[in-house]
Amino acid sequence: MKILVPFKSVPDPNDATFAGEAASASKSVINPFDEIAIEEALRIRERGEATEIVGVTIGAPSVDEQIRAALAMGVDRAIRIDDARALDPYAVARILRAVVEKEAPHVVIMGKQAVDDDSNQVGQILAGLLGWPQATFVSSIEFLDNKTRARCTRETDAGLEVVELDLPAIITTDLRLNEPRYVSLPGLIRARRKPIEVLTCDQVGVNVRPLTTVLAVARPPKRPAGTRVESVEELITKLKQEAKVL
Amino acid sequence: MAESLVLIEHDRQQVKRSSLHAITLAQQLGGEYELLVIGHVVNKISSSLVSLGATSVIVADDPALAEPLADRYATVIVEAVRKSGAKNILGTSSTFSKDILPRAAALLDAPMVTDVVAIEQMDGSISYRRPINAGSMFAKVKVEGERRVLTVRAAAFETPAANAAPCPIVRFDVDAESLPNGMRFISREERKSDRPDLTEARVVVSGGRPLKDKETFERLVGGLADALGGAIGATRAAVDAGMAPNDYQIGQTGKVVAPELYIALGISGAIQHLAGIKDSRIIVAINKDPDAPICQTATYFLVGDLYQIVPQLIESIRRA
Amino acid sequence: MDFAWSDQQRELLNAVGRFASQQLNYDVIENDREGIFNHEAWKKCGDFGIQGLLVPTDYGGLGTDPLTTVAALERLGYACRDNGLLFSINAHMWTAIIPLVYNGSEAQKKKYLPGLCNGTLIGGNAMSEPNSGSDAFSLTTTAIKKGSRYILNGSKIFVTNGPIADLLVVFATVDKTRGTDGISAFLVEKNSPGMNVARKLEKMGLRTSPMAEVFFENCEVPEENLLGKEGGGAFLFTRSMTWERGCILASAVGSMQRLLETCIRYANERKQGGQSIGKYQLVASKIVDMKVRVESSRHMLYYYGWLSGHRKSVYLEAAMTKLHIADCWVKCSEDAIQIHGGYGYMTEYEVERELRDAIASKLYSGTSEIQRNIVASMLGL
Repeated sequence: MKILVPFKSVPDPNDATFAGEAASASKSVINPFDEIAIEEALRIRERGEATEIVGVTIGAPSVDEQIRAALAMGVDRAIRIDDARALDPYAVARILRAVVEKEAPHVVIMGKQAVDDDSNQVGQILAGLLGWPQATFVSSIEFLDNKTRARCTRETDAGLEVVELDLPAIITTDLRLNEPRYVSLPGLIRARRKPIEVLTCDQVGVNVRPLTTVLAVARPPKRPAGTRVESVEELITKLKQEAKVL
Repeated sequence: MAESLVLIEHDRQQVKRSSLHAITLAQQLGGEYELLVIGHVVNKISSSLVSLGATSVIVADDPALAEPLADRYATVIVEAVRKSGAKNILGTSSTFSKDILPRAAALLDAPMVTDVVAIEQMDGSISYRRPINAGSMFAKVKVEGERRVLTVRAAAFETPAANAAPCPIVRFDVDAESLPNGMRFISREERKSDRPDLTEARVVVSGGRPLKDKETFERLVGGLADALGGAIGATRAAVDAGMAPNDYQIGQTGKVVAPELYIALGISGAIQHLAGIKDSRIIVAINKDPDAPICQTATYFLVGDLYQIVPQLIESIRRA
Repeated sequence: MDFAWSDQQRELLNAVGRFASQQLNYDVIENDREGIFNHEAWKKCGDFGIQGLLVPTDYGGLGTDPLTTVAALERLGYACRDNGLLFSINAHMWTAIIPLVYNGSEAQKKKYLPGLCNGTLIGGNAMSEPNSGSDAFSLTTTAIKKGSRYILNGSKIFVTNGPIADLLVVFATVDKTRGTDGISAFLVEKNSPGMNVARKLEKMGLRTSPMAEVFFENCEVPEENLLGKEGGGAFLFTRSMTWERGCILASAVGSMQRLLETCIRYANERKQGGQSIGKYQLVASKIVDMKVRVESSRHMLYYYGWLSGHRKSVYLEAAMTKLHIADCWVKCSEDAIQIHGGYGYMTEYEVERELRDAIASKLYSGTSEIQRNIVASMLGL
């Protein structure tokens, strides 16, 4: 079974830099939810259910570091669609569709959302474009019937749901699916020999433009600093009289 | 021809109240709007929606739609949009709408904007304000195209008034044979609770990792929530540790709440959690660390031992 | 002279930093208090590839060059607060792995190196004795050949990793009359008959690194476990010691960097007399000195690392590097406590532990006095 894992390079949400380094130190990482997707693909392969894991990302050469990190985790090969434009989920999904059509995976596993954009759309759009079954916010995956079906547990607002999908399908990952392994040094060194294929949108036969334009980005107004109270009595008094919420 | 079509969410028994907030966006966008209900045996649900100012309540009722399978529901939505001529397809952000609406957007070849908190009309076009980077920033965006799909953050829009003259309920014929069938619903696990829904409650009491275990979590967080008639929430760390089920999780990738009163017990205030509570009117933090980040965001904070303070608080509230 | 890291080096160093900061920093205060070795963390390091740095890939290692290796250990020291764990890793790398790499037979290398590289085997050495520390070569443990075995008799002290080691490189003399030329090295596996790893020794610092006395009473070691030649032990020891001196304080440079950042943060946040304490020159001056020590230590370390890959003999540079970094580490740790005031004395703040850990650096791998003797003799004095 071939698994395609789309992943995105995002600014590090935890930003820990080594101060001894020059300012050019990298501050980007693989989107945490996509890392979970990569990890799941690796575990599926370790169980003997998959034979090839292909990673794909869209971006300028600066995302090569995240590609190497994915290869170091254990992805077999990677594709970078060379496109430095600011894209939206509409465009990203259509580019990925072209890659899916080229690679013909049995299943696409990807993060449910990118932690910079927080749109949570790409996997679902991709499924719609391909006409494939989808399972979103998945916390467990099991393959059945000689890998023709996948049974997935989904985390919903009300609790958990179990659905079954015919393959090929799109699965998006939620936090509790697994805990990704850290990149090991042997993995990093092996990764240097793994192929990265760079293709343009033209070469995969897609010509798409984002439909969303970002006009401005701003920080929200800060909440005013809070008041420290010293006792339960004081808290209740303030909630009653000042805040008028009790 | 309606301008907007609003997808209403329900749990097979009744309407999910927060999904009605998208109607307020429809009203702001202007023009007529229709409501869409999809499911099976949804008469009571549909009837409860007739006074919300829509021109009609469109109902797609069929056994094949008994469960919210994204492939089927997206197909039905697309048909409903074509029939209604709507340009805006709206819903309130939830796992239901997030699962289904992007797929519908794909089929409609339309762009989608997630978690709209406000709109701005600017000479002929509309811009949408939405959170990014775990809500630490807000982006103002515009989209092109004949149609667009939008989800709203419930807390950012009011509940619509329910005093309009009743509108007709229009049944929509579903060709069950032509619906996709690559997905099957197997089971669900939901706890029914007497407590109010987390996203609708006036008061939310949340707990973090320091609550030790499930029993302690229920005793202290649940105890305080009950004393205040509120709902229970949890941080990711607490859910990961098995102290609370996943549907209690509040934060960037969990639920976003904006109650009148949010009480955070033993929560340090990681940015991903704050993303889910920033619009609460009053935030109270109870923590043993005066330097915890949440103390900067809280309206009031009390430093001390949870295990002493919370029982005292419960006692005082009951007496009052 | 190009001081820049290559993309590959930077990638490797960032991976080390990320791994260490996320995986190795738990339970450090309690483990230090109770003197507990973190087996799980050791195993993670093995899986990650730390112990295998430098070892040729043929034997399960990563084959990294010495400069990249010391930079990786520096990053490890920066991101991991458990100095004891790192000390055990260092002892394992320089006293067990290096002798095998340079002096092991093909059979010995194939048997032990893969396990030592991935952490499934823990190694160490047994050199010091109750009456021979600095004067290492005056050891009295004997190894008498009897048929196809060597019989070891004697006692060793300060054996780092003793309580947990699967393999120890034990130095003993095959013939006291030959003096230094009788010293030989033996690979002794744990639980060898006649080998007794005795009580764990309790230390001032590096308490998460276990250490014991080891007694040999007619301990039988097969002849194929002789490491190198009979009489080659002193040379083998000196070579492994040169590696140790140059590399064992690489992680200390990282620790100092971490201490420096902690002190800067504290000096900016802590306010006394209406301003941050960093504005007082007496405090600022200490931090400046810390910064200069970190930089000079780093440069000596990198130069040693680079030289190690380019020149056969780095005996002088190794001694100077160790001498200087040990001195800097102890001074930085002391300054860090002073800057933090009362909080610096509290175990909860993890500043006092750095000093307790640092002081040993002037004692192991040759005391600072020995390093000075070495440098003096190399200068022709």
